[in-house]
Amino acid sequence: MPLIPDFTINQVFTQPWSTTQLITWNLQIILMGLLVCWTCGLVGSFIVIRRMALMGDAISHGILPGLAIAFITVGSLGIGTMFIGACLAGLTCNFCIEWLHTNTKIREDAAMGLVFTSFFALGVTLISGNAGNIDLDPGCILYGELGLIPLAEKVEINGTLFGNRAIWTMGVVFICVVTGAIVFYRQLLISSFDSTLAKSIGMPVKVIHLGLMLTLALATVASLEAVGVILVVAMFVFPSVTASFFFNRLSFILLSSFPLGILYTLGGFHLAHWLDCSIAGAIAVTATLLFIPACLLGPNGGVCSRFMHR
Amino acid sequence: MNSLPYPIQVHDLTVSYQRKPVLYGVDLEIEAGSLVGVIGPNGAGKSTLIKTIMNMVRPNGGFVKILGKSPKAGTKHIGYVPQRESVDWEFPVTVMDVVLMGRYGHLGWFGRISKADKKMAHECLEKVDMLSYANRQIGNLSGGQQQRVFLARALAQESSIYLMDEPFVGVDAVTEKTIVSILKSMQQSGKTLVIVHHDLATAKNYFDHLLLLNMRKIAYGPTPKVFTEELLQKTYGGRLTVFSEMASQAAKQPEIETAKTIGE
Amino acid sequence: MRIFLKLCPGLLLLVALLAIGIPELMAKQVGMQGEEKFWERTVRFFLLQDTSVQIVVLGSTLIGISCGLIGSYVVTRKLSLFGDTLSHAVLPGIAIGFLWAESKDNIALMVGATGAGFLGVSCLTFLQKCTHVRQDSALGIVLSGFYAVGICLLTRIQKMEFGNQSGLDSFLFGQASALSVEDLWGIGCTLFIISLFILTAHKKLLITGFDLSFSRSIGIRADSLQYVLWLLLAFCIITSLQAIGVILASALLIIPAVTASLLVKRMNAYLLISATLGAFAGLGGSFFSFLGQGMPTGPLIVLVSAGIFIFVLCLRPTDGLLIKWFFSRKNTLRIHREDTLKAVYQILESHDFQHQTINTQALMSKRGIDIVKCEIEIQQLINAGLATTEPRSPKLSIPGQSILSLTPMGWEYACKIVRNHRLWELYLTNEAKYAPDHVHDDAEKIEHVLGDDTIRQLEHILSNPRKDPHGKLIPSLTDMEMGNIESSPSS
Repeated sequence: MPLIPDFTINQVFTQPWSTTQLITWNLQIILMGLLVCWTCGLVGSFIVIRRMALMGDAISHGILPGLAIAFITVGSLGIGTMFIGACLAGLTCNFCIEWLHTNTKIREDAAMGLVFTSFFALGVTLISGNAGNIDLDPGCILYGELGLIPLAEKVEINGTLFGNRAIWTMGVVFICVVTGAIVFYRQLLISSFDSTLAKSIGMPVKVIHLGLMLTLALATVASLEAVGVILVVAMFVFPSVTASFFFNRLSFILLSSFPLGILYTLGGFHLAHWLDCSIAGAIAVTATLLFIPACLLGPNGGVCSRFMHR
Repeated sequence: MNSLPYPIQVHDLTVSYQRKPVLYGVDLEIEAGSLVGVIGPNGAGKSTLIKTIMNMVRPNGGFVKILGKSPKAGTKHIGYVPQRESVDWEFPVTVMDVVLMGRYGHLGWFGRISKADKKMAHECLEKVDMLSYANRQIGNLSGGQQQRVFLARALAQESSIYLMDEPFVGVDAVTEKTIVSILKSMQQSGKTLVIVHHDLATAKNYFDHLLLLNMRKIAYGPTPKVFTEELLQKTYGGRLTVFSEMASQAAKQPEIETAKTIGE
Repeated sequence: MRIFLKLCPGLLLLVALLAIGIPELMAKQVGMQGEEKFWERTVRFFLLQDTSVQIVVLGSTLIGISCGLIGSYVVTRKLSLFGDTLSHAVLPGIAIGFLWAESKDNIALMVGATGAGFLGVSCLTFLQKCTHVRQDSALGIVLSGFYAVGICLLTRIQKMEFGNQSGLDSFLFGQASALSVEDLWGIGCTLFIISLFILTAHKKLLITGFDLSFSRSIGIRADSLQYVLWLLLAFCIITSLQAIGVILASALLIIPAVTASLLVKRMNAYLLISATLGAFAGLGGSFFSFLGQGMPTGPLIVLVSAGIFIFVLCLRPTDGLLIKWFFSRKNTLRIHREDTLKAVYQILESHDFQHQTINTQALMSKRGIDIVKCEIEIQQLINAGLATTEPRSPKLSIPGQSILSLTPMGWEYACKIVRNHRLWELYLTNEAKYAPDHVHDDAEKIEHVLGDDTIRQLEHILSNPRKDPHGKLIPSLTDMEMGNIESSPSS
């Protein structure tokens, strides 16, 4: 069995959609992938323009002990406790980083590296130490299992089945993020660009910052099962950075995370089918592959256009 | 005349920053319609004074009043032009977007930008000679152009008081002239302007009032009165040693502050 | 109750992180097999009886030392997150190395990882030099992009024939017990090269780290030095992967070095402490991993170093949190004491020093505090030997109704504080030209920090004044020696 299997259109593109059973299964995967890409793309755009891309990385690692403790206390994937635990841990992580770099002479990057690795280590230790009680293995945290999302239990309200829990959760988070982005667009824009002006016209800059961090934690938790804590960084960073090679207005960058999300998900899904590997990994690889031409050929500050200007 | 509150009133203001004293017992009353230059050596607390008035730094003692109100309620009446380096000029917004930000203060939480707002922003850009750049991304502007955009944004804010932090740093001669003429016309329409400035040579011509600052207020008054050899010498010629030593020692012990607030 | 029992280990671990007793609790967390087993294994680990234990101990300690050494440069040069990115970026290299050798061959893995690491660094440099992508985003892109390729390859390998027994999983979180003798050689060589490099280039590293343009101007090739440092960093990460894993490799670089930066300022001591702490972290982590059998080593090593960091943060000399809290508390008490003494003086003064005692009621209203606080403050004065009290009438002692008199020592102290206050007021009005109504609040603070030398200086500047700006007497040295002021001297 070679590393790269033969590429046949039939096997890669037709086969996943051949029977009704496969279609329903794969549609769920695609839907989840789209929701993850869109949610993370929107949140990520704000994170990236605030120069906090690595804060996304830090928070996504930092939520793990919260998740683990929530798991240990409740013993199952209770969504409520999971969210609360993760958000608390994420905020604690954020707070620790800020405290360290304002109150000691430790620089921000070092503080970040210190805090999130410690939090993550605590989480992993808790999970592997209580392996018996937790149906979550460290590997899943690292790269998620988008392919197994259709196996998540069904939501049942008053005896009516509503479908997959993971997708519903992600959908709710997505709707929250979209609404938040539309309603608070101005506040987010101005506090990111010029926090002093924002403060002077009476905007609660700190609250906005905390809200964004909370949303970040929320998006990470919701997409954790699907993509894991490290690949979620790819979902945060790639859409907005790729779009920034084409557009120079925030609103366009935000909007372009939708088409990019579709490209990533469909491309990644079929790539994974071809290579028979992790779907989440393949989505991130697609994002990387799309980033490279954008970076080289993009009209807005791409390498070629810069070269021509000189 | 006296019944009207001062646009900016500072009383016995003491500010420490990172356990170092920056301002010490500063009193200041600025009258409506003055164009004030704030002058002093590096680290004299010029920017800190502005930031304290803007309620961005919490004072350790004394108070600030804006139009007779607390700074929290008063900052809405102030247009603030920060130092140019304080924002990220690679940010994905256009010149127009930045000027429209000046209108945000008038919109409230859920208001939308109206046509009138856009027209207003248009006019402000025209005033600073930047209308042809309206749809450019801000990263492509020169230093002087960036400063003009900031000024246009301040104009769009339609405040009655303006605070500007070093607006003349790193701008070309043409821009400097434009800014000065705009400042003068703003003053004529009754605005109060406080401008942090570092160039002694031009200060005399630009402002009608001067504030000489070096941790404490050295002098404040009409330019001809204040711009004297003796006072400038006092401003730039070092500090009273015992005074600054003790002030920094007190600032190093936060317990003194807290003990006071608990004790009283 | 059962929920509570399940909660326990988690809570215990959190507390353990915050407290000093981290090793004990961690041991319980990882080695749940029971008390005897725990001691048995501890003894086995520390007596170094088995070859495997010897390898683990030696390996993890050496890894800790080399990470600590390189880490000091990583942290001082603001490369912390660069290290994190680099460690994630080697993952595809490991996978490719594995594919190439079709087994876990050390040389192949090493070559693959080094190649991937360098590709990662070049991508990073390219993104920063040639595009508008900012540093944080560039790091995020390289980190997650390379990692994604790595994950794809890993999941692919696991589905191939030889992939099942690969043991590549242990590269994600580390498994110190899987260290082999060859690994040890690699680790030893890396440490040797790193030490050699630091010894030869120590001065140059110091200068380039501190002032890049200056070092260029005196002809140091800063760029090549930087590249060597990156190369060593990559080697360091790669050799430590088996023990600590891809995800957390950067932690062992950052945490000991940051801890050391809290303790010392000089680079030599910094390197030494950082290396020692790294060694301890490595040793501790592999010990706990050994206890728990099959627990991933990486997170444990990180937890041990984080524990050391928190310990140092709280208890380091002069700046430790607990130490600071202690001194701050002491200082607050002193300031309260001084304020109370001053109040006593002022009450005595308001009666023109006719009486030598005051009643507590007056003190309470003067200080503006309630009876409980007042009692506490008086008690503190008594404890310090500055005052004595007696009940108002010998028969009944009601709280707040006692009579207070100062001891000679207390009197002298009170005079000093009042003198400080009034001298400072005078100084502010006369020398710094403040309005008289501004000086009181400030003097309230400064009176607590004026030292004897400054007082002498002030008295000299003001030529031994007798009256403060409000016309009140400034108690002088003679007043203090007399032990009392009979009455206000006529002016």
